[in-house]
Amino acid sequence: MTQLIWNGLFVGSFYALIALGYSMVYGIIKLLNFAHGDIYMLGAFIGFATLSSFGIIPASMSITALLLVLLLTMIITGGIGVGIERLAYRPLRNSPRLAVLITAVGASFTLEYGVSAIAGPNPRVFPVRLQGQTFDVLGARISAPQIVLMFVAVILMLSLNSYIQRTSMGRAMRAIALDPKGSLLMGINVNKVITWTFFIGSALAGAAGVMAGAYYGKIDFLMGFIIGLKAFTAAVIGGIGNIKGAMLGGLLLGLLEAFGSQWLGGQWRDVFTFAVLIAFLTLKPTGLLGERVTERV
Amino acid sequence: MKLRIPKTVTMAAVAATILATTACGGILGGGDEKTADSGPIKIAAVIPLSGSSAPTGVFMKNGMQMAIDEINAKGGVLGRQLQFDPEDEACDPTQAAAAANKAVSNGAVVSVGGYCSGATLPTLPIFEKANIPMIIPAANSQDLVNQKLPNVFLINGTGVQQAAAAVKFMVKDGVKTVALVDDNTSYSKDIATQTKKDLETDGNVKVALSTSVTAGESDYSSVVHDIMGANPDMLYWTGYYQEGGLIINQLKAAGYTGKIMVADGSVDASLIKIAGAANAEGVFATMTQTPDTIKGAETWIADYTKKFGSAPGPYSTQSYDAVRVAAEAITKAGSTDGDKVIAALQAIDGFQLFSGPLKFTPEHTLTNGGFQILVVKDGKFALQDDLS
Repeated sequence: MTQLIWNGLFVGSFYALIALGYSMVYGIIKLLNFAHGDIYMLGAFIGFATLSSFGIIPASMSITALLLVLLLTMIITGGIGVGIERLAYRPLRNSPRLAVLITAVGASFTLEYGVSAIAGPNPRVFPVRLQGQTFDVLGARISAPQIVLMFVAVILMLSLNSYIQRTSMGRAMRAIALDPKGSLLMGINVNKVITWTFFIGSALAGAAGVMAGAYYGKIDFLMGFIIGLKAFTAAVIGGIGNIKGAMLGGLLLGLLEAFGSQWLGGQWRDVFTFAVLIAFLTLKPTGLLGERVTERV
Repeated sequence: MKLRIPKTVTMAAVAATILATTACGGILGGGDEKTADSGPIKIAAVIPLSGSSAPTGVFMKNGMQMAIDEINAKGGVLGRQLQFDPEDEACDPTQAAAAANKAVSNGAVVSVGGYCSGATLPTLPIFEKANIPMIIPAANSQDLVNQKLPNVFLINGTGVQQAAAAVKFMVKDGVKTVALVDDNTSYSKDIATQTKKDLETDGNVKVALSTSVTAGESDYSSVVHDIMGANPDMLYWTGYYQEGGLIINQLKAAGYTGKIMVADGSVDASLIKIAGAANAEGVFATMTQTPDTIKGAETWIADYTKKFGSAPGPYSTQSYDAVRVAAEAITKAGSTDGDKVIAALQAIDGFQLFSGPLKFTPEHTLTNGGFQILVVKDGKFALQDDLS
């Protein structure tokens, strides 16, 4: 039981990190950025490339090296997110919503098969593997790497939350989410804010990618697809466009999956997950934390 | 702004049309010549070159290319060069049917493709109608055999043969309870259900857990949790190496101390890398012969690595063999006529493959599945038991 809860929370924190980017982008420009899961994949590959270029890393330095690579990757994937917005989404911002959605799917495939063409279609094994002791907590086995990764995820989420609540850029984001035209008239540089939103969202997804690579060890060019859909589900559960909702939704989805596959069997895990998505979309499309008139972001 | 978009679209369309017509022209031009009994002999392969199975598709393509280049360097077959025509099926039945039709219209004489059983099935009637013999190197679902088509030959052991080998080893090794985990694909399910059936008939080993996972994910903690709960003597994983490696890694992290065995789809150096060398040590595998377990295959591996810049992966040897079998059959038939080649394939006896001497059963499968048990030793697959 405790093991199930812990497993759920651990996977859920990955979902939450990625769901944040989905939610922020949707909150501001009402776009479902389907390429977001692939930014996660890209993060894993960039982390892989940088770590490999370091040569052999002594085990004692691996955590430091990983954190360094994490930061670097966040900057690069953030930049790529901005680039995608500039190239694929901004020219279509005044087009019908469907056109942008299709572009997003196109961007997703471009990233997937672009990486496959550059890095090859074979799965790669991450050069640095997080290893450590395991502890017994209330009957659950918890390993040191899991604690480290959860800690990093929580720090990232908390700092994002305070960034959006406390800074002027965060205030601008919230303003645009409420009323883009009004914000423009009030002198907010809407393009700049949207760029920042993409940067932050993509940086978080990239961080999740590096963390997943270091923990699970295997990365491949299609790894972003399913997790992207799950992060989207998490965002919907929590109330899409709502930052706290995305975090809550991610953790909740992790728990739902852990318990769902325990009750129904492993092969039903994704059926269960996406059935929950359908249930939410039909019964409570605003999600758990969304209100009818919601302040998005 | 409004004007620019249609313009780009038009330009793209024009460019695409030009590209498409030139490509078609090239193919059609080549096609006209080869219908005669001169010019290159076309060998088609419908294999996954995109999608989730693309990694294996590339190994297969390389293996086939290597055989074709070798045969061509020796002067080809019947004095004609072989020409390779790989078509992408993306492990998808619809795309596979389209790819097979394209291969037929390109003038294929023999097909050496077939990886995903589900995608290979719809290609069978297409090649059958065109009277093109198929030598299937990897796909091995019993469904392929059950079609009873005269042109279909399997040079990979079937799931039934693999399951029998697995059960034989479990009994021999004194395993009392076993957990069967598959990845819900036709190949994997085939072995898992057959193993379960065989175990129930045998009665010596109890199935403690039988479940499936979704391929392509990173976190398998739920299945790990189930296995830990069932506490079997052995886990038999019948899926592919990507998930297999993750499951082994996560099982060991969860403190599993029982035995682990994997099926041939998991036999790849990547399994050990993904699982971690220490975790993979002692993992058993049911496998047909591979270059790693055949003496004298070192040169083959070295040639492959030199040619393609990476080590051979799963099914590269079978694909290499498929082309050689095709060439052998055409040579023996003395013609590229479908009926004659099929007759020549049926008559093959003792042609040396990686998996041993070849002779087809009346069902057009291998007489002997050639399955043996490997074990991971010092970070490499080594022979544990040849089950003879």
